[in-house]
Amino acid sequence: MKRLLWLSLLICVVSFLACAHSGGLTKPASYGYNVNIPEGWRTIDNNRYLLLTKDNPFQQYILVQNRPIGKSFRHTKKKMHTAMLPEEAAQIVVDELISDQNLLNLKLLNNTPLNISGYDGFKILYTYQDGEGHTFKTLYYGFIKADTFFNLRFTASDRFHFQRDIEAFRLMLKSLEIVKAKKT
Amino acid sequence: MNMRRSKLFLFLINLLLLAAATGCSTHSKPQISLVAESLLESEAEQMLWEKSEREQRTLESNGLVYVDPQFEGYLNQVVARLMPETVPANLVIRVKVIKSPYLNAFAYPNGMIYIHSGLLARLDSEAQLAAVLAHEMAHCIQRHALRAFRKYRNQPAYLIAVQQTLLKTKGLQKLAHAMGVTGAMAAISGYTRELEAEADRIGFEWVLRAGYNPKAALSLFDQMLSDLAADGLEEPFFFGSHPRIRQRAENLQNLPEPAMIDTLASNNDRQAFLAKLDQLLLDNARLDIRLGRFQVARSSVEKFLSIKPDDTRAYFLLGEIHRQRGQRSDVQTALGFYSRAIRLDPSFAAPHKAIGLIHYKKGQHALAKKFFESCLQLSPDSPDKAYIKGYLKQCTISEES
Repeated sequence: MKRLLWLSLLICVVSFLACAHSGGLTKPASYGYNVNIPEGWRTIDNNRYLLLTKDNPFQQYILVQNRPIGKSFRHTKKKMHTAMLPEEAAQIVVDELISDQNLLNLKLLNNTPLNISGYDGFKILYTYQDGEGHTFKTLYYGFIKADTFFNLRFTASDRFHFQRDIEAFRLMLKSLEIVKAKKT
Repeated sequence: MNMRRSKLFLFLINLLLLAAATGCSTHSKPQISLVAESLLESEAEQMLWEKSEREQRTLESNGLVYVDPQFEGYLNQVVARLMPETVPANLVIRVKVIKSPYLNAFAYPNGMIYIHSGLLARLDSEAQLAAVLAHEMAHCIQRHALRAFRKYRNQPAYLIAVQQTLLKTKGLQKLAHAMGVTGAMAAISGYTRELEAEADRIGFEWVLRAGYNPKAALSLFDQMLSDLAADGLEEPFFFGSHPRIRQRAENLQNLPEPAMIDTLASNNDRQAFLAKLDQLLLDNARLDIRLGRFQVARSSVEKFLSIKPDDTRAYFLLGEIHRQRGQRSDVQTALGFYSRAIRLDPSFAAPHKAIGLIHYKKGQHALAKKFFESCLQLSPDSPDKAYIKGYLKQCTISEES
């Protein structure tokens, strides 16, 4: 029994290491996008989203998601539509954030339109606290392309990590390229 | 008390508060005995109160409490009317409103009752409100938290089973952050079936003694059941659970005959009660709109319009409900409501922008431009001005081309 447990643990560790890359890579097109991963950042990815961190996810992370239009959000019943304006999409994201009870003392600092890699989108800046009282700051970019809602967000635990690592996020954002998703 | 013992005691209190919520549990439960000693005499009750106060501070510091001193004053007047004479002086019952569209009310052992704006918005009379508050008051006055603690402290296996069940409850951990364990337990599952039935029976006696119309109070649960069924809503809280509401309705229907005798009480004035709710109806409708619960939101706004038929914000919200829902013919209906809002108050900027958006999406840029411009003129510092300026720019490009 003990051997079996050790074997399972070993498989888990090997699987995790196989998924964790570090810096300079371009994501495969199976995601429907390409981005340059900043030097020194590790990726922890799966088929649903791309998660990167420099130190650990509790200090800072970048999350890139492409979710199908028409899929209900987790905390609200709202859905996006292809004909939505960026402001309407941003409002759905804001409603979702406000309804997420994990985000305590949520403060919306900014919500503006923005062109992201040639697509009309939006940028939202907000802060929140977790259950332990730690404050986080997030910069959230999103846009709709055909039947997909693309979003990229950068979250850091404090001002130091936010200011230090925001440039890496901006460079990654600049490198974003939407491609035809390969079927996996 | 040494540290280790204190931790064990706290653990037991936490587990009790988990256990206090097991109305649906199938585990065997012994009879819960009454409390003999005076209020706060026992160490267990002191700790329950301290824990409650800590959790209330967290709840209130998270901005979840709806601030309206006048309405809070009204709620506390209803409590005063219901209050039995034999309550210890140091148990002060107070009521506050939580900004949440879900159906719920819950009580902490120290007398603090929280009622959700979503539940208030569904009520139709002061008698129904009295029925809700009297039930929660009974939990406090009959010291159900302490009684449940004493019942379960010697049953660790039962407590673990309860804990397992509750940890599987959707959203429980998230709520626990804001409400604390005590509030989350009382709010999500209620107390045991035995204590809930006692709170129903005693609470209803107070409702009758205070002169409220019992039929109106009883209609509360039937109304909730039909509302939940009509809206197809799934709610995480005690009041939003079909089996729990049904159980409560049965508890009241099974009361002995004398308690069910009708009175001449006339406090079933719907309009007077809705006038007390006033702004809360619109504020709660905004919460429902945010969650995409458009039908419920519409009901709240229509209730508000029954007391204030010429309110521009109410018509704007009806417009928002239809525009955001986006079903067939909704856009046209929304346009009608926005236009009415502008007719009632031409200086209200929001419907100007909303009409602009509708025309903009239809490609009617000249019309859209007119409304966006009037919106910016009325509200030059609007937080969404960057979006509006972007639309205006596009409209101008479209005109030039």
